[in-house]
Amino acid sequence: MVKVNGYDVPEGLYYSKDYEWAKVEGDKVRVGITDYAQKQLREIVYVEIPSAGTSVKQNEPYGTVESVKSVSDLVAPISGTVEQVNEEVSSKPELLNQDPYNKGWLLLIKPSNMDELKNLMNAQQSVEWHKSMLKEC
Amino acid sequence: MIKKTHLYEFHRKNAKMEPFAGFEMPMWYKNITPEHMAVRNGAGIFDITHMGRALIIGKDAEKFLNYVTTNDVAKLTPLSAQYSTFCNENGGIKDDFVLSRLEQEKFLAVYNAANRDKDYDWLVKNAANFNVQVEDVSDNIAMFAVQGPKAEKTLQKISTENLSMIQRFKCGWTKLADIKTFLSRTGYTGEDGFEVFVWDTPLEKPGNAVTVWNNVLKAGEEFGIPPCGLGARDTLRLEAGMCLYGNDIDETTTPLEAGLGFVVKLEKEAFIGKDALQKQKTEGVKRKRVGIRMSEAGIPRQHHEVFKGGQKIGTVTSGTYSPLLKIGIAMAYVAAEHATVGDKVEVRIREKMTEGEIVKFPFYDPTKCGYARKTV
Repeated sequence: MVKVNGYDVPEGLYYSKDYEWAKVEGDKVRVGITDYAQKQLREIVYVEIPSAGTSVKQNEPYGTVESVKSVSDLVAPISGTVEQVNEEVSSKPELLNQDPYNKGWLLLIKPSNMDELKNLMNAQQSVEWHKSMLKEC
Repeated sequence: MIKKTHLYEFHRKNAKMEPFAGFEMPMWYKNITPEHMAVRNGAGIFDITHMGRALIIGKDAEKFLNYVTTNDVAKLTPLSAQYSTFCNENGGIKDDFVLSRLEQEKFLAVYNAANRDKDYDWLVKNAANFNVQVEDVSDNIAMFAVQGPKAEKTLQKISTENLSMIQRFKCGWTKLADIKTFLSRTGYTGEDGFEVFVWDTPLEKPGNAVTVWNNVLKAGEEFGIPPCGLGARDTLRLEAGMCLYGNDIDETTTPLEAGLGFVVKLEKEAFIGKDALQKQKTEGVKRKRVGIRMSEAGIPRQHHEVFKGGQKIGTVTSGTYSPLLKIGIAMAYVAAEHATVGDKVEVRIREKMTEGEIVKFPFYDPTKCGYARKTV
């Protein structure tokens, strides 16, 4: 596990600049929010995600995550059809804070075009991106 | 230039800072929820030095204040406080504030940070025909709120005076950690507690303010007192049903619409806004501020629309996730004929019509939380 200023950036995942991760599992892709995202949001109290069968599009909002005071869009790292959703996060949104890369996953997507992964960062690139972003603020 | 309170160094080291009303202020130290719950269950301390404060002194002080405010200042005995509003000629709220009577001819008004200049100018402008002096003391007095069921016990440990003698909406002078302070048993959380004024302490000389702050934190250690940020201040006031100026009230809303009729004393002689408010009272208000407690998941936020049976009846002015009730809560203005406690309504949260119910303020059970709780 790579840490940048205390933010976990696990290897083997793809990353978007909208603070989401994507993990290839055969012909499916599992997605969720990054450790950096959950730490910025803090105290996540509400998650709204689409139901199975819905289409999502890369770089477009598919849901919402809310902390006590803020509302943020969830932006899809890849296009496709939602195969499965993590039902548990609806009743336990704190899972996104506790375990963003595992129990806090959001959607399992059947991508319409795996080539879209090329638009994402790999772990190494994401580490560099985290570093440059943190330097700016 | 952005201003810094006396406790800036402490906040900067310990809190997430954000600009607020011209000041760099702490939003939260650990997180909103633990700070919020500490105030409901024990005690918390807030730096609220950013608020506006003015002294109104002179022979005509009472007469002048009765003219510019809506509440009855004649009823205010020395060392008492009252909640009140300044209105414009149309009855619209220029600000809401707490007025304390220090002496027969000396008052302290504590108003919203965002309205500091507006209120001071309004006071000065209207004081022209009165034998009265208005002095902006905002930057010469540090101000903290120590709130929660253990607030009195915390402050008593470092106070020279018996604080149980100061009842709700009463004030008094004491020394805290050997420093001269004025206390008023008021607040913006719904809980028992005090607002602490560290007198004669300009921003450039933070020593006394820092000493009082540190000593309150130390005295409150046994009750688990944390420093609390503006995040928890907002969620606490919302649960208590208290208005936030700029969200829930402004110059286009009247105290009668806002459910603040108890601070409008129409039997007083002429005061600014009286005619308009008298007329509105006679004709009846068209909209009212109500509380909405959500019945299902989904958090109402400012500007969300409120519906009943498919018909739009109003708009949310403040909304949050309630750390205490663990559900969404909101304040909204709805058409007066629909402002009925117990009625089911829907809030359109993004695309989704989300069910809620119109409830009384405060949102919590006042026998279990807040200053009137039966158990501590």
